[in-house]
Amino acid sequence: MHSPSHAGIQSIAEYLPAQVASVGDLHDRGLLRGSPDTLRSFGFETVHIAGDESNLDMAIAAAEKVLEESGFDRDDIGMILYAAALNSSSTLWNSNGRSPNGSVLHLESVPDLFKYPASLIQSELDLTHASVVGINQLGCASIFAALRMARALIVAEDDLTAVLCVSADKFPAGRHRDLAYNLVSDGACAAIVRRDGETNRIVECTQVTKGALWDSEEIENEIIAAYFPTAKALVERTLTKAGLVMDDIALVIPHNVSLRSWEILGRLIGCPADRIYTENIARVGHTIASDNLLNLRHATESGAIEKGDYLLLFTFGYGSNWACMIVEH
Amino acid sequence: MRRHSILLTGATGAVGSDLLRRLATRKDLDLNVLVRRTNVEPCERVKTVLGDLEVLARLNVLDGDICRGPTLGLSDTALTALQRETTHIIHAAGSTSFALPLADARAANVWGSRNVLDFARGCTSLECGAFLSTVYVSGKRRGDFAESDYGDAGRGFVNSYEESKAEMEEMIRQAMNELPLILIRLSTVVGDSATGKVNRFNTIHHAIRLFYSGLAPMIPGDPDEPVDIVSSDFVAAATLNLLDQAPRPGVFHLAAGRDSSNSLQDLIGETMSALSQYRPEWRKRSVERPVIVDLDTYELFVRSVEETGNPVLQGATRAIRSFAYQLAHPKVFETRHAAATLAWNGIAPQPSLAYYPRVVKYCLESNWGMRR
Repeated sequence: MHSPSHAGIQSIAEYLPAQVASVGDLHDRGLLRGSPDTLRSFGFETVHIAGDESNLDMAIAAAEKVLEESGFDRDDIGMILYAAALNSSSTLWNSNGRSPNGSVLHLESVPDLFKYPASLIQSELDLTHASVVGINQLGCASIFAALRMARALIVAEDDLTAVLCVSADKFPAGRHRDLAYNLVSDGACAAIVRRDGETNRIVECTQVTKGALWDSEEIENEIIAAYFPTAKALVERTLTKAGLVMDDIALVIPHNVSLRSWEILGRLIGCPADRIYTENIARVGHTIASDNLLNLRHATESGAIEKGDYLLLFTFGYGSNWACMIVEH
Repeated sequence: MRRHSILLTGATGAVGSDLLRRLATRKDLDLNVLVRRTNVEPCERVKTVLGDLEVLARLNVLDGDICRGPTLGLSDTALTALQRETTHIIHAAGSTSFALPLADARAANVWGSRNVLDFARGCTSLECGAFLSTVYVSGKRRGDFAESDYGDAGRGFVNSYEESKAEMEEMIRQAMNELPLILIRLSTVVGDSATGKVNRFNTIHHAIRLFYSGLAPMIPGDPDEPVDIVSSDFVAAATLNLLDQAPRPGVFHLAAGRDSSNSLQDLIGETMSALSQYRPEWRKRSVERPVIVDLDTYELFVRSVEETGNPVLQGATRAIRSFAYQLAHPKVFETRHAAATLAWNGIAPQPSLAYYPRVVKYCLESNWGMRR
């Protein structure tokens, strides 16, 4: 009898578009609905904006980078979990000519209804041993669902060694980039979850869905009001399930929503500000689903984390999903 | 023994309307009701309060206003006759708004009360004058607040209502040397203990509505500290009993006190439970229980909402702010004097949670007064 398997987030890479715009630039270009001063006071300074690259290009770039940097044999990747936060990201929308009919958001085109980005990623990356699954409908929490499923599948399936989790989102051009008082950036991330991985061992994953909040346009105020109490409850539940308390957490790896909201949430969950890694909020902004992995990589590179540290990752999938994860670095 | 003649002010208000309904059915006294003319005739306003009670003919409705000088807006003849006749006064009129500028709150609660006090000085047979006040004249004090205590002890007030009432009390306390006056400090009145019926919806009920709407993510306070609420029927019964007894001048707390209060977290929990119980479909909305936070955190949240300029969330936080800051200054209201005086007649506050769910139910069923 062998001991049960576990899974760890072994390698992480991100892709951020080269084009950077300041809050002032966005305001001047008519890409803000609200006040630039409010966004600055909430901690935002610049965001990345994709140019010609599609969300699929960004996903492939991030995945290629993580495969190269990790030195993983591509044949060892048994599964790709492609996590799309925006509805558009789960299609071949804006995919630089890969779809002959253009955007498959034209749902009348029956052939296009059967063309999926996850398969295209597998092909482009030459991951011929990997089966694919697309994950969407969770907003910014999509990558958390991917990591959770990767861990569960590795534990459940003896022959699955490594799972590539990828997420990429590109906001529609010309649209307001401030959403629920946060500033949206374009970007992608990729991570390899590995059987018995000793880095970032996934200790606990939790998620709460409040389906009544599905209509993010109609009930934005209720969603904003629900954010804090639900976040606090979920973080506490996750800690309890892991048998930990907040003092055991060396660093919180946040999603890059407003610094102010993290000041408040930090107080609610009993975590001092210096134990929340907020360095990327001003510089990068909120890359939809890629924030936490991007921040985990940067925090690791900066030396802010030591081997054996417990880290708490938290995000909110705009609308109705909150997700939390504890990893042991 | 002289037949009692009572002057009641504020008869159409949250507390006064309960007093009016009870007094109107008593045949052992004469009742004069001073009612301000609005766009509705004073008699009509009284009829609205009395509803089906066919007792209007027994009342003397006076078209007056405590803010119209020492005559209370009455003619000299009417004033003189009333002062000769009156043996008891219940002064329940005033402003209970938490949002008024201090000058406006003073106009109703201090200067209006001064006019009633001047009226009392002219009464030749006054046996007892009861001035209704609030336990929240204690302002930002923390800890125990006794009936012998007064004012904010230099700690400031949460709103203009508290401050103006404290100033009113100072005036009445001085007058106790010359007149048979009592101060009745009320806790937060939430509704009838048997039916849950609310006479006038106040900030507590508004908070319940915000909980229901899912627009109250957090409130300031200490989870374990008691929140003092009382039922309207207790307040009415106790006030009239005190008036009947005409005790020596002093202060009486009509409050739940330590024994009948529940903690803030229990009260919030009971609110959420009652909303689920009485509106089962509400559960589908999965509204999370509001988080109880310290005042600094709440201030940070309020500041953030203000910066966003979101009118709905601003309205919600401002509504909570107007009363909830009192929760951040927890205190226990001692009720020894009132309890000892009322015990003879078996009048005591009920435990809050014994009736509070019925108030929540009434809020739901009446849609906070919009569906009567």
